[in-house]
Amino acid sequence: MIKKILFNYQNKSQLIIAMIGSFLGFTFLVTSIHYLIRVNEFGEGEEILGNNTMIIQKKINNFSSLKMTKNDFSEREIESIQKENFVEILQPILSNNFDVALQTDSELVPYLRTDVFVQSVDNEFTKIDSAKWKWAPGDEFVPIVLPREFLVMLNTFASAKGIPPISDDLAKSVGFKFTLTSPGKKEFEKVRIVGFTNEVSAILVPETFMKYGNLNFPKGEPAIITQLMLTVKEGLFGEFENYLDKRNLESKENSMIVGKLKSVAGTLFSILIAISVITVFLAGLVLVQYAQLLISRNEYEIRTLLRQGYSPKKVINSILLYFIKVFAVISAASIIAFGLLKYFIDKLLDKGGIQIDSGFTFLSVLAVILAFVIYSIVNYFNAKRGVLKTQ
Amino acid sequence: MKIQFNNVVPIPLNGIQHSNKSIWGNSFSLLKGEKVMLNASSGKGKTTFTHTLAGIRKDFNGSIRLGEREITSFSPEEWANLRRNHLSFVFQDLQLFPQLTVEENLNLKNDLTDTFATAELKSMLEELEIIDKWSVPCGILSMGQQQRVAIIRAMCQPFDWLFMDEPFSHLDEENTQKALALIARRTKNIGSGFILTTLGENHNFSFDRELNL
Repeated sequence: MIKKILFNYQNKSQLIIAMIGSFLGFTFLVTSIHYLIRVNEFGEGEEILGNNTMIIQKKINNFSSLKMTKNDFSEREIESIQKENFVEILQPILSNNFDVALQTDSELVPYLRTDVFVQSVDNEFTKIDSAKWKWAPGDEFVPIVLPREFLVMLNTFASAKGIPPISDDLAKSVGFKFTLTSPGKKEFEKVRIVGFTNEVSAILVPETFMKYGNLNFPKGEPAIITQLMLTVKEGLFGEFENYLDKRNLESKENSMIVGKLKSVAGTLFSILIAISVITVFLAGLVLVQYAQLLISRNEYEIRTLLRQGYSPKKVINSILLYFIKVFAVISAASIIAFGLLKYFIDKLLDKGGIQIDSGFTFLSVLAVILAFVIYSIVNYFNAKRGVLKTQ
Repeated sequence: MKIQFNNVVPIPLNGIQHSNKSIWGNSFSLLKGEKVMLNASSGKGKTTFTHTLAGIRKDFNGSIRLGEREITSFSPEEWANLRRNHLSFVFQDLQLFPQLTVEENLNLKNDLTDTFATAELKSMLEELEIIDKWSVPCGILSMGQQQRVAIIRAMCQPFDWLFMDEPFSHLDEENTQKALALIARRTKNIGSGFILTTLGENHNFSFDRELNL
């Protein structure tokens, strides 16, 4: 009966306009948060190196080939890059100054032996469990990260021998070993592949193994630092790229493109989130204003109910329940609209060759639930103030 | 529930000299079950009196006690409980819901307190000769018919006191007598009292007490 008295005789046009505004705001909000998360996740999982991790080196030109310019980094240069705003973490990549060969050590794969180039990076750049990315003399295995190109080469070789190709997972269980040599000295170390990378062309090993090799099998020439590994701060790829151009440095193009795309898309979605939040806020204000108008238009009805002995709590709860239903309709409609939008956007991205996770992101749905809860709380206090004022 | 007035003067009537027979500025008690007539001409504060006792107006000096409590100390929820179980009103402006039917107006109160069965409600309407208006919206009833609906609605709850502010102003003498008989029977059944404000007419009812303004 209270519902009939308070809501049945109201002009609903303002409510419908506010509901449409909120629905659009909620839909943009959930969509932009979802795609911001998906953009940031893009490319994760396939790569063992952390997000936004780049390897930089000096550009090689004809003068470098003639040894007229240096292509290694001095300590001063490293310190200078370290101070740049876009740098989150920066470490030099250590290269081997000893002879090392990798050979297969399993009956599952054909015999292959090749001299290799190894590099070491700090564990903070990789997604490998730190307990797995360590080595000490006497350990059973040296953990390594294998360039994916190396596995392709191995599979090409296997095909030529009529052996089935090796998957990433199988490669991790195949036996390999390193042969470390120096004049009059030879040592074998078993190797276990813990991941793959598209970013680095050398085999990655823990720093302790690199130091062990350089110390015990030295070639006599001092090791130089020709590459640096760094993590670029989220959204600062533009600054990073400008710096590389200015300082005649270069990075692998594909990771730069992905990074830049993520940076641009991330910025766009962040702007969309800001616009959505403003829309949700404004639509919320219109809804609150509608609720205030409803209370004020119903002043006689509310006052009469209270004078007949209706509890203020009961009247407040009736108003609250009505608006909770309104907010629930808005939230449900926006989640359904988001589901439809997502279906078409994902299809479009897939067509364009961008495969992203097709699941719903928890945070985006949580944002709608949060907006719903905030709307309800604001409306509760609004109704309480309005009803208690109408005595 | 005893009602105790101690030197109560509504703030708008502060500058006026009140006689020693007036309820304003004097002290008196109203005991449970008393049938009281408040007699005064227009503009003397009859509605102010009813609204003050209903907790609607708080602009007065002095003190009013309902039972053991100061009237100003009740919270909104306590007022709701009082208006549901202890104090009933027939306001001068009736305060019906014009868009609701007679049935809905009565049930709005009756459902809250579970006092009467539908047959009892209809019987009261019949007694006051408006049973044919059961399904008619109150907004299209005459003022006299609306007054009778408001009186029956005031019966639909338990109460210690019934406050009526000129409840028969639009009723002829015959209908007034019928309404008064209904009120007297109901108050007798539940052992409660009432205060009826009038413009001087006692409607041939023998009141326990008469108050003046």
